[in-house]
Amino acid sequence: MAKKQRGKASSSSKTAGIEKPAESFTLSLESSDDEAPEEVTFEDSKAAALRSMKQALDTARREKQLLKEKRRKRQELFQEQKKRRLLSADVLEEIDSASSKKQKQSEDEGEQEEKPEKEEGDGKKKKKKKRSGKLANARNLKGKYTVTTVKERTLASFQQQVAEEFIRSRLYGPGTCRTTNNEMLSLQNKKGWNKSAAVQFVKKDWASKEKAKAEKLKKRWLHKQQLPSC
Amino acid sequence: MGEFKVHRVRFFDYMPSAIRTMAFNSQTERLAVARADGAVEIFNFNDNFFQEKVIPGQDGRATEALCWVGHRLFSAGLNGEITEYDLENLRPQYTVDAYGGPIWTISSNSQGTQLAVGCEDGTVKIFAILEERIQFQRNLNRHKGRIISLCWHPSSAQIAAGMTDMITIFDAETGHATRRLLVDRAMGASKNKEVVVWSVGYLSDHTIISGDSAGKVQIWNGLTGTLVRTYLVTKWDVLVLSVSKDESSVIAGTSEGTVIQFQFISSTVDQHDKEWVRTRTFRNHSHDVSALAHTDTAVVSGGMDTQLVVRPLLDKVEKNTQESALRKIAFPHRSLVGCAKKAGLLLFQFPDHLELWKLGESEGHGKPGDRLPVKRKPEKLIELKRKGEDHICCSALSACGGWLAYSTVSSVRLYRIQYNNTISINKVSKLPKELRSVHQLCFSSDSSKLFASSCQSSVIVVAVSQQECRYLHTLKHKTGSRQPVHLLCASDDGKWLATANTDCEIHIYNLHKMKLHCMVPVYNSCPTTIAIHPVTNNLISVHADQQIFEFSLVQKEYTQWSRRLQTQGLLSLWLERDTPITHITFNPKNPDHIILHDTYMFCIIDQSLPFPELNAVLWNQMILKSLPVSQRIGQSHAFKICKSFQHLMCVSLLEDLSLVVVERPLLDIMSQLPAPVRQKKFAT
Repeated sequence: MAKKQRGKASSSSKTAGIEKPAESFTLSLESSDDEAPEEVTFEDSKAAALRSMKQALDTARREKQLLKEKRRKRQELFQEQKKRRLLSADVLEEIDSASSKKQKQSEDEGEQEEKPEKEEGDGKKKKKKKRSGKLANARNLKGKYTVTTVKERTLASFQQQVAEEFIRSRLYGPGTCRTTNNEMLSLQNKKGWNKSAAVQFVKKDWASKEKAKAEKLKKRWLHKQQLPSC
Repeated sequence: MGEFKVHRVRFFDYMPSAIRTMAFNSQTERLAVARADGAVEIFNFNDNFFQEKVIPGQDGRATEALCWVGHRLFSAGLNGEITEYDLENLRPQYTVDAYGGPIWTISSNSQGTQLAVGCEDGTVKIFAILEERIQFQRNLNRHKGRIISLCWHPSSAQIAAGMTDMITIFDAETGHATRRLLVDRAMGASKNKEVVVWSVGYLSDHTIISGDSAGKVQIWNGLTGTLVRTYLVTKWDVLVLSVSKDESSVIAGTSEGTVIQFQFISSTVDQHDKEWVRTRTFRNHSHDVSALAHTDTAVVSGGMDTQLVVRPLLDKVEKNTQESALRKIAFPHRSLVGCAKKAGLLLFQFPDHLELWKLGESEGHGKPGDRLPVKRKPEKLIELKRKGEDHICCSALSACGGWLAYSTVSSVRLYRIQYNNTISINKVSKLPKELRSVHQLCFSSDSSKLFASSCQSSVIVVAVSQQECRYLHTLKHKTGSRQPVHLLCASDDGKWLATANTDCEIHIYNLHKMKLHCMVPVYNSCPTTIAIHPVTNNLISVHADQQIFEFSLVQKEYTQWSRRLQTQGLLSLWLERDTPITHITFNPKNPDHIILHDTYMFCIIDQSLPFPELNAVLWNQMILKSLPVSQRIGQSHAFKICKSFQHLMCVSLLEDLSLVVVERPLLDIMSQLPAPVRQKKFAT
């Protein structure tokens, strides 16, 4: 122990005023002295080992606790959010009662309106649904509304839309590797006989948004450049 | 010659519609082209590819397939209906609902007795073609999945139908599916995507050719149901196939914009081992090719880039002649711009609305080539949306700008416009019942009468005034032609009216006596534009083969100038232009001038100058400018051509002698097309 201390003190005193490369030289010289190796007692080493184990256990426990805390906090946050999304109980009750009333009213009106009209059986159901849907959203104007028949093509146009959607997704949907007209024309400009810039720079009224953004950035940069000077 | 102030108009946002499908009738040499908005156009291949007839479209028609049966034209679309067109009255004759959902394809058998349609619900429906209508006969067996394409065998005994992932061969008599050919899906990442057989062709030796969405063209043996040969043509879809009449050549159109030809030839000299070999590739389109027609001598293609391209095959025509030139038809062969000369107003006709604009003003003078500062910008006065589903067929604006008329296949509407402090537009409600299906409209120069061409080439004359619109007379001709009138023009003094129909007949009517005056001798090419000279009352007509005639109405014969022009002959550079002249106008200050234009140039013909010699330079404006004034007389000839403005939709001369040039650059159209495919090219 004493030797250890001495070794330390001596090294520090020696290194105080000497340059660095010389310092290393002296230290290496010192270490190559034939002094006896340092003695460390069993108790010391045992204590050190115990200490290190304790530290490891402590850190593990602390980490676990931290994780627990985090998880608990997150859970609380979710529950709070859930509570916030749902309206308060009494508001919900009110809405429930109101919507059931509205539905009843619209169904009655729908039934009343249907009787005088004689349509084909297929169209009837659809029309009823449509009408009740509309009336549920619209305001209740008693007696001041007109009822018109829905065009008979609703079913046909829906199928047509599905078919058009099919073509569109096969030709332009995901996985079809499409690019823009701007890119294609710009590539033609760059590979053509008279090479010129991309079309958005050649034509004045193209890509106006990008040009506006570029203008703003330019102004900001100029402003920044001027600041240190003034 | 003249210095003109030019109003350079670029605010006409004309946007053509994509070509969806086409069908060629080899008997009559007519090509029918259906566009995405439902319009059908008929091109006459015998007459310099002139766009003879345009049947306007309709909202929701969504034509997917066209089919000629003799002289009758049928179309089928995603609205589930089969439509037969009346080509004499330019309207749909009737529609038949197939009750199978959206119809994807239509095809007639070789005898012309039956029509097969492929529907969304998986059935192939057979209709019998009768005299004036079609009648449902029966369904073939129903299959799961939509029928995208079908083709009859030339013997009318079998039908090959292309669906998703397979091709089914039906027996046309019994309706049973006899064979099922399974189409492979694409390699690599798109294994999960189903392959759609977009097009099939059935040859008489029972070979089936199919083009699918995986980019393959496959040759099958229809008798055994086996695959003979596969060609992977593109990374994208093969959208359409067309088989030539003699079955020795097949063309395939792809999403890349290429058209690939396969020919049935033998690799060795002897004719025994013929097979299908990929021969030519045509790259004439920038966007998808969705329609093809294989004529005897050419490959006709059209697609999303809205241009119709006719590519003659060089082994069928003579090289380096007018016949072998590539033709691209990008703009309509009729004028969509109306100009009110006294008021300085322009009327733009769109399929679904009309726009009325007032031209701007500038001040000051300048040298030729200068840009004058604009004092008052052009402004859009009125945008008039059409009522109903039918698209606008034709429109007219009176010279004073006070009357506006347009027609669709179902109705005609007339509006009175008043220019006080604000613009007001009022519809004239009670129109005569004779004004029904009208193809062309024209106002008289004093805005007191409206001329409308109706069925059987007759013209209805209607008087328009502040209070009412009164029917006056119907002018009829004596030739018995039932073809529709596509050109109508009235003289400035109000005495003459000239009409031209697609039978190449030009009739002149005397409006003071309200009867037929005479008929111009029929020339075998269809007139593309006609006009009556305000001073001399001569009729100038330009035809689809670029010939120019001048006919004197008073003397009922061709004028001296016209005879001299015919003897001299027009220069080959003039005759080889590939876009027709669509408008003629005259110069009030100089009665010798005739101003004409086509898509790429406008020309002032000076009738007092000599015609160019056969070896003279046609476009000699630059040469003349470089010569001193005294020497110009020797070199100048009658045709003064200016190519500074492109692409021209209309050139007109206002009363204040300023020129109005309405341009629509092709680049502006291309920028608004749907997305093209991304092609990786080297060094980009």
